Parts: sequence; structure tokens; C-alpha cells
Amino acid sequence: MTGLLVTADPTTCVTSCMCVYRAPEVFDQDDDGLVVVLDARPPAELHDAVRRAARGCPTQSITLTDQPL
Amino acid sequence: MSLPDAVDYPFAWEPPMEVPAGWRTLREHSLQPVRLPSGDPAVLVTRYRDVKALFSDHRLSRNTGRYPTSRISPNNEIFNDPEIDNDPPRYLEERSLVVRAFSARRIESLRPHVWEIADELMDAMAAAEQPVDLMESFAFPLPIRVICRLLGVPHEEHAKFRELVDGFLSVTKLPTEEVERCRVGLWTYLGELIDAKRHHPTNDLTSELVKISDEDQKKLSDHQLQHWVQTLLIAGYVTTASQIGTSMAVLLHRPHLVREVQADFGIVPTAVEELLRYQLMGTSLGSLRYCLEDIELSDGTVVPKGSTVMLSVESNFDEEVFTCPMDLDIHRRENNHMSFGSGIHYCAGAPLARMELQVSMEGLLRRFPGLRLAQPGEDLPRVEGGFLGGFSYVPVRW
Repeated sequence: MTGLLVTADPTTCVTSCMCVYRAPEVFDQDDDGLVVVLDARPPAELHDAVRRAARGCPTQSITLTDQPL
Repeated sequence: MSLPDAVDYPFAWEPPMEVPAGWRTLREHSLQPVRLPSGDPAVLVTRYRDVKALFSDHRLSRNTGRYPTSRISPNNEIFNDPEIDNDPPRYLEERSLVVRAFSARRIESLRPHVWEIADELMDAMAAAEQPVDLMESFAFPLPIRVICRLLGVPHEEHAKFRELVDGFLSVTKLPTEEVERCRVGLWTYLGELIDAKRHHPTNDLTSELVKISDEDQKKLSDHQLQHWVQTLLIAGYVTTASQIGTSMAVLLHRPHLVREVQADFGIVPTAVEELLRYQLMGTSLGSLRYCLEDIELSDGTVVPKGSTVMLSVESNFDEEVFTCPMDLDIHRRENNHMSFGSGIHYCAGAPLARMELQVSMEGLLRRFPGLRLAQPGEDLPRVEGGFLGGFSYVPVRW
């Protein structure tokens, strides 16, 4: 059984908002509009949305790592 | 590897409601030489995977005014200001001042205001004699009122502003001196706007940019400030207007899709996204870049140093990425299209444009349940010689 570790790099974020649209439970933005991860280990039912969010990021600022639970 | 013969760009839309047949075969070659409207040469990167990679490749410069880059047209200065540094790190510093206004939360807070504008425009449509031109009565006035409010342009100056932008953006349609008059007029107007906000700040993005810039030891020069405000105005207006009207025309041309949306307005965001991918209004001219070093594409073809490069929005039809790409599928789930670009130059106004498109589609189809084209979609005229290729006239009835 593996879980998903979500990290995001605000220094390369360009405020496309795609992650917030696709997985609002997991991603948010700070006052400068830069990505913030709300839930670094989201439950399994959100994994599909999180993967779509990562694929949709125009600067590939979201990194997903499979790791043991 | 030899390249195919050069073709004229942008591609002709014949018939006007269909994606040009040539786009099916475009990706047989990873690099397609083209002639721009100016007659100057460029190369078009055709495949999605290359386009996506090159949008993040620093060997392509956006400083098209600093290098011997091919011109889009002989008399258009857009993207060609040599005083503006459009490459990192400077570009990113300046951009970061602007994009905070386009966070998901700030855009959502504007949504009720966009609904208000849409309702007002639809009230006027309802009172008018049919058919009504959707472009003139809705698609153009909506985004200009939104962006003018965002930037603090007074209501009584919208018409003057619109005339200047329309002239400035005309790539080949107007005589050189007329485009120049509009370019200078717009630039002067924006200088005056910034000056006014400096002395009498109001609650808008221009005032905020002036304040940030002045507080931080003139972080932006007046020229840079003016350039950013101009970019936001132009980008926030014409592209959105064209996409609102053209995407509605494309949808109304397919009444069964209209009924699907009306049966479940929850699919509006997905439908808007698919109509963005389908791109009946855009071209790749906005992606013009200058190649600083030889760049090898995924199949080994080399983009030569010194060439002018376009990253194709036509890659939205790459079957390697999109299932049945020539079909308009308003339920398409994974839709990472290139219509807003990719990488660090990703359209800063994309969240605003998406919201305006969603309000427009839902608003029009709710308010006018019988909305339909008043003449066959195949007969709708296209914008001639403009930077964008959408429809210029979309008569509707309900």
C-alpha cells in the first residue's frame, strides 16, 4: 500500500490557478497568488484529481511522490 | 532532415465552422516553415510534446524587439518594444507584481460583478430588435467593461479606448499611418491614466501597481508600468471578446450541444475549456520567439539558431495527446490545451478569461433558452487581417 506525497514549488508558480480548479481540497494560493499545498498526503479518493492538477500545471511546479504509508 | 515547403500563415478557415483540413497533416513534419503576414519567414513547431517543452526552454527568447526577429506585419509594434525585457529574471520579477490580481480567490470575487454586467447587456439585447449581433451587443462590451473596471479606466472613456485598441491591433487591415496614430494615442492615454492614478489613487490594479512601484524605489519605470497596463488591457479585451462570440457561434451551430448544456449547466466549465481548445479564433502569432541556439526537437529535427519560431496552438489537435482531436467534445475531461500557452509566459489573464467565458455561456443560454444563429454558421464572416481570426458578426435570435 502506498500513499501520495504532494509538494509544490511557489518559486516557479505562474498563478495559472489550474491546481486550485482541479483539486481545491489539496491546493490553495497565498496573497501573492502563489501555490500552497493544503494537504500533502491527500486521501486516495483525491489522487486522480491531484494527478490531473499536476499534469495541468504549465510550469510543472507540482511534484508527486509515491511513498509507503 | 529536409523541411517541407513554406506555407502562408495564419491558415485559412474554409469552411469557417471547421478546423482547417490542413491541420490533420500538419504534424507529419515536426517543423513547418511558414510566411508571416509581413512576408517574413518563420518556423512553426507542430507537435504538442515539442511545443510544451519549448514553452519552457530559455534558448527561445521573447525579446523579439532586441533580435533580428521576423515581423508579424510591417507596421505593427506589438511584442516589439526593445525597452521591455521579456526574458527571465527581469520578466518574472515584473510579472509577479501583476499576477497576484489573478489568483483564484480574487477572480472569484469579481464573478458577481461580471454577472451584473452580463445581465445589463442581456437586458439591452432583450429590448432590441432581432436579430441582434452578439459580437457588438455582448462579446465586445463585456470584457472591456470588466478589464476597465479592474484597471480603473473611467466608464466614459471606454469607447475612446476601444477605438484605439482596435486600430492598434489591426495587423494588416488599416493603413500604416492609422495604426501608428492608434498606437501613439493608446500609449499616451495610458500614460495619462497612470499619472491620474498616481495623484488620485482608486481601488484598482493600476493604482496598486503604481503604489507598489513607487514604494519600492521605482521598481518599475514609468515606461514598464505603461507597458504592463497596455498588455493587460489588450490581452484582457480583444482575445476574450473574440473567444466569447466565436465560441458561442460554434456552440450555437451545433444545437444538440446547446441542449446538452441547458440540461446541465454544471458542464459549462468543461464546455468552455473544450471551446478554448478548439480555437476557432486564435493563431500562433502570439507565441513568436527568437531562437538563440540550435534546438533539437524530439524527432531530431533542429530548430536553427537565429530563426523566428512559433509554438503552435494547432498542437491542440495532436492525436498523441487528445482523443479524437477533430471532434468538439464538450465533456472532454483531460484538456491541457495550449490556448493560453505554457511555461513562464502562461497567459496571466487566463483565470479571468475562463470566468468571463463561463458567465457568458451560462448567462446567454439561461436568459435566452431559444438562442440560435440567425444565419447559417457557414455564412458567418471572419475578421479580416486582424491579429485574431474569430467571427466579426454573429447575428442571433431567440
